[in-house]
Amino acid sequence: MLKIWSMKKEQQQAENAVVGKKKKVTAAQLRVQNDLSELSLPSTMKVDFPDADDILNFLLTIEPDEGMYKGGRFVFTFAINQNFPHDPPKVKCKQKIYHPNIDTQGNVCLNILREEWKPVLNLNAVIVGLQLLFLEPNASDPLNKEAAENLKTDRQGFVRNVRQAMGGGSVRGDTFDRVLK
Amino acid sequence: MAVGAVSNGIESDVNRWQYLNRFLTTPGPFTDDEATLGDEIIQRISSMKILVIGAGGLGCELLKNLALSGFKDIHVIDMDTIDVSNLNRQFLFRQADVGRHKAEVAAEFVEKRVKGVKITPYCGKIQDKDEDYYMQFGLVICGLDSVEARRWINAMLVGMVDGDNPDSLKPLIDGGTEGFKGQSKVILPTMTSCIECQLDMHAPREAVPLCTLATIPRQPQHCIEWAHIIAWEEERKDITLDTDDPEHITWLFQKALARAQEFNIQGVTYSMTQGVVKNIIPAIASTNAIIAASSCNEALKLASSTNPGLGMPGSNNYMMYSGDEGIYTYTFEHLKKDDCPVCGNLAKKIEVNSNITLRELIENLAERPEARQLKKPTIRTEAKSLYYQAPPSLEEQTRPNLDKKLTDLVSDGEEIAVSDPAYHQIQFRFKLLFRS
Amino acid sequence: MTTTPPVLQGPTAKEKKYDRQLRLWAASGQAALEDAHLLLINSGPGVIGVEALKNLVLPGMGHFTILDSAVVEEKDLGVNFFLDEQSLGKSRAQETCKSLQELNPDVQVDFNSQTASKFLSKPDALQPFSIILVASPLESKLLSQLSEHCDSSGVPLFYMHSVGFYVHFSIQLPHAFPIVDTHPDPVTTTDLRLLKPWPYLIEYAQNKTKGLDAMDHHDHGHVPYLLLLLHYLGDWQKSHDGKSPANYQEKNEFKKLVNSAMRRNNPEGGEENYEQAVAAVLKNLNEPTPNSSVKGVFQAEECANLSAQSANFWVIAHAISTFYTKNGVLPLPGAVPDMKARSSDYIELQNVYKSKARQDIAEVFKEVQSLEIKLGRTKQIESSEVEAFCKNAAHIKLIRGSPLHISAASTTLDWSDKASSAAMLLTDETSHFLLYVAFLAYDKLYDEKQIAPGIEAIKEDATIMTKYANSIIGDLLSQAGKKSSEDVEKAKTRVGKLCAELARAGGGELHNISSLGGGLIAQEVIKVVTKQYVPVDNICLFDGINSTSSVLRL
Repeated sequence: MLKIWSMKKEQQQAENAVVGKKKKVTAAQLRVQNDLSELSLPSTMKVDFPDADDILNFLLTIEPDEGMYKGGRFVFTFAINQNFPHDPPKVKCKQKIYHPNIDTQGNVCLNILREEWKPVLNLNAVIVGLQLLFLEPNASDPLNKEAAENLKTDRQGFVRNVRQAMGGGSVRGDTFDRVLK
Repeated sequence: MAVGAVSNGIESDVNRWQYLNRFLTTPGPFTDDEATLGDEIIQRISSMKILVIGAGGLGCELLKNLALSGFKDIHVIDMDTIDVSNLNRQFLFRQADVGRHKAEVAAEFVEKRVKGVKITPYCGKIQDKDEDYYMQFGLVICGLDSVEARRWINAMLVGMVDGDNPDSLKPLIDGGTEGFKGQSKVILPTMTSCIECQLDMHAPREAVPLCTLATIPRQPQHCIEWAHIIAWEEERKDITLDTDDPEHITWLFQKALARAQEFNIQGVTYSMTQGVVKNIIPAIASTNAIIAASSCNEALKLASSTNPGLGMPGSNNYMMYSGDEGIYTYTFEHLKKDDCPVCGNLAKKIEVNSNITLRELIENLAERPEARQLKKPTIRTEAKSLYYQAPPSLEEQTRPNLDKKLTDLVSDGEEIAVSDPAYHQIQFRFKLLFRS
Repeated sequence: MTTTPPVLQGPTAKEKKYDRQLRLWAASGQAALEDAHLLLINSGPGVIGVEALKNLVLPGMGHFTILDSAVVEEKDLGVNFFLDEQSLGKSRAQETCKSLQELNPDVQVDFNSQTASKFLSKPDALQPFSIILVASPLESKLLSQLSEHCDSSGVPLFYMHSVGFYVHFSIQLPHAFPIVDTHPDPVTTTDLRLLKPWPYLIEYAQNKTKGLDAMDHHDHGHVPYLLLLLHYLGDWQKSHDGKSPANYQEKNEFKKLVNSAMRRNNPEGGEENYEQAVAAVLKNLNEPTPNSSVKGVFQAEECANLSAQSANFWVIAHAISTFYTKNGVLPLPGAVPDMKARSSDYIELQNVYKSKARQDIAEVFKEVQSLEIKLGRTKQIESSEVEAFCKNAAHIKLIRGSPLHISAASTTLDWSDKASSAAMLLTDETSHFLLYVAFLAYDKLYDEKQIAPGIEAIKEDATIMTKYANSIIGDLLSQAGKKSSEDVEKAKTRVGKLCAELARAGGGELHNISSLGGGLIAQEVIKVVTKQYVPVDNICLFDGINSTSSVLRL
């Protein structure tokens, strides 16, 4: 073991790096900090931190300015664990909404949140993906089957139902949260 | 008293450890010329504090092996209690121990079996302990099944290295198994490739798209995942899922089975339900024995220099093992990554006046040669977001900190992490030492 | 809320305890393990054998007998975890037996404190055992006796060394050791018959991909990739004289063809099923030709010349070989990997494969039955055995066991037909062959002096062992008809260091190394007893200084 130290000394002459006591900023925090500083949010989106010191838990609000969800305000919770970016962030929609790719429990079907997550992806990619869900809801492999069927077979009717649900009304007997601005 | 028990303890010790001590006192043809074998080495090993993380399949083996390698002051951490499914490999536990803490039972057993060895258990999480605790050990060996825990202890040990103190460098030996496969590796924190550098060696868990689960299931596993992720939350939202509760597993199993029948999918079983929900990895005694023994063999070589081992900079540090087709090992040097977020850019000590404001600190930092391009720095400690340039809400929340004094924000010796879009993925870490 | 109904298919107590291993070798493997009766002939410090037993008692191997004449001494306590203060002065066989028994009440552990030579002098002493482990050192004549018994009775024999930082073990398997359940990697072994589709599959694919271009986005994006590949193969064949893409370049062209047919004007801007099809081209567009190992089984004498006494394996192998001659392919395994598809379409496709597999199994089973009548066999082979064989027909393995090399005081080793391949290994540093030679020299010196090398004089014994090692190398060269070279001379120097390191141990074991070796041996015993996975054929070495290993076939 003495030999290790003499080798360490040799390495160190070039670097002059040292560390000390107290808790270290964690790898997950470092990565999220980077991701946050590289975030480029359009005016239709914002993030809020209930606890400014905890950057691993925050809210994302999306206010689409076009498409069938225009005029709504949709809030997602982001929960990032210490195993980030090995594990993807856990994202859920806080409100009960009528959307083919988001179920009534708030689960979101977005490939990069599960099967296609890779540690090289960043939070920006996730946020862009979420935004896209409101511009281009995808009926082909849905989470909310009725909504998808509705979108596929009767686009006009679907748009009406989306408006109805966003206003806090009910669609086929199911009541949704009011999400209008 | 049995025949052969000697009244002279020293003599019995000499007899008892004769096989091991031969290697600790006599050099062989491959022993490093600089190695100084002899009584001093025997002493050093027996007085070295060594930490075992995990008292499960690997941990039981590690404790046994270390106790029979001359280590006499062993500590072990594990938060788990004993389950009946542990008994096929965790040989320090018996049916009657089910429900007790692993660390405690394992420590008792080995202490009783191997005379003169002291084993100190801690039943809890590694995260409960701080730097002062980890500083007491000469070496850390892990037998863990979680990537998260590995990353945590790795970051801790990397962060503890202090250039002025040789004892602050704790070699980390890590082993892992899955069925007939496993790996063991030696890490010299800050000197060689660390757990974080090796993160790509752990394949992420395979996942199926949520929409497949929700609308087009095809495999029995899809039905189980559906029950686990979607059905439970729809129907039993208020009950926290406990994957060790047979009633919960049964519920999921019945749900999955009904769904499988609806889609004409065959093959959902109780055992598969358990496997999918708990992400069960097959585990057997033999692979654990191989990997744990390899880890302890490296520990003994490292501590004694009786023979060269894995881990020195510029040499092999990683052994991969596979036993399903014949026996195959691949031993190689995993290279340290320059851009590793944990060991790639170590914290530097800087002295500051504790009465300056955060704003002044940021201005000072930008004058440092390595951080000259710092324009819009974002800065935090482990506990606090000190100042964030973006996103706007966080900027607003942290702006008041800019005019606070450092004494109100950080403590003497605390680490700060600084990032800036100008440096992309590179972050600076500084350990702030207050000038009095 | 309704209460959950009681579990009907819930696990038994035994299934709970063995859950983590049943996920590897299943109930069939466990049953084989529980039927086994293992004999450990222990000697020396005796740790590697006991460590191996620990890893076999835990998973519930049925029955063990430990033969060990040693009396527990102080030095045992520093290296053997299954002895303690109370054991001093008592029979080592009895004491280790007691500690091992505590690990698992479901197994039976017996002991015998006789010497090996006394034990083996009794006729039929070895009769109860289905597998035998021998820890070195052992007199060469006893080892020969064991090797001959195992050879004639078909009992697997393990011979092992743990000396200092080194481990060696050799496995003597029966002359024919066939394995059906080799557990091949499911990803690399998918057999979809894309290049040899049976008529109904072609018809089915054509039917399902009819009007592909006219399908709406949803339907188009859910056609299983397997059917897409068959569809585009049809297109390809039309423009290539009815031939399929055969080489790497053609397969790449075919990949482009499939890729270009993917729709990109849909909301997703691409199609997952087409992406899967493209990714499967290089992996799955292969002729299902049997590998050399399967052909070796078909060509084996036992397969050609069946008798009423032939093992079931050979009867089924013969029937499958007949199937292959007739159909040009092996029976279809029938498994379909998961792929993007609607649930019902996927299940339907899965059934197309499953029913073809069942048809093939039925054909083989019929052949097996007619063979049984022809041979006048009285005990009938179960259809489940035929089914298991058919499902894994492409991955069966046959190991030809060969006798141990026994290094005796006064005899020269006979390398027989392995001489030239062994001689080649002399200059291959990564092979650890020189370590094997050093172990042979170690045994030779032990056989001569009946005391472990290095106990009395490290340097002198190292010198003698080196001399023996060099003469083993010399004999090998002459049997291989080769002359020495500069590299061989270097090897002779290297083997001297290995001999010195072995002598350094003074016959002692290091616990870590014995524990590692015991892990390797237990793993191989499990593979041999369950006839699952592929065991070492036939020599394994582990170097605990460099943390490297080798398997040699000699």
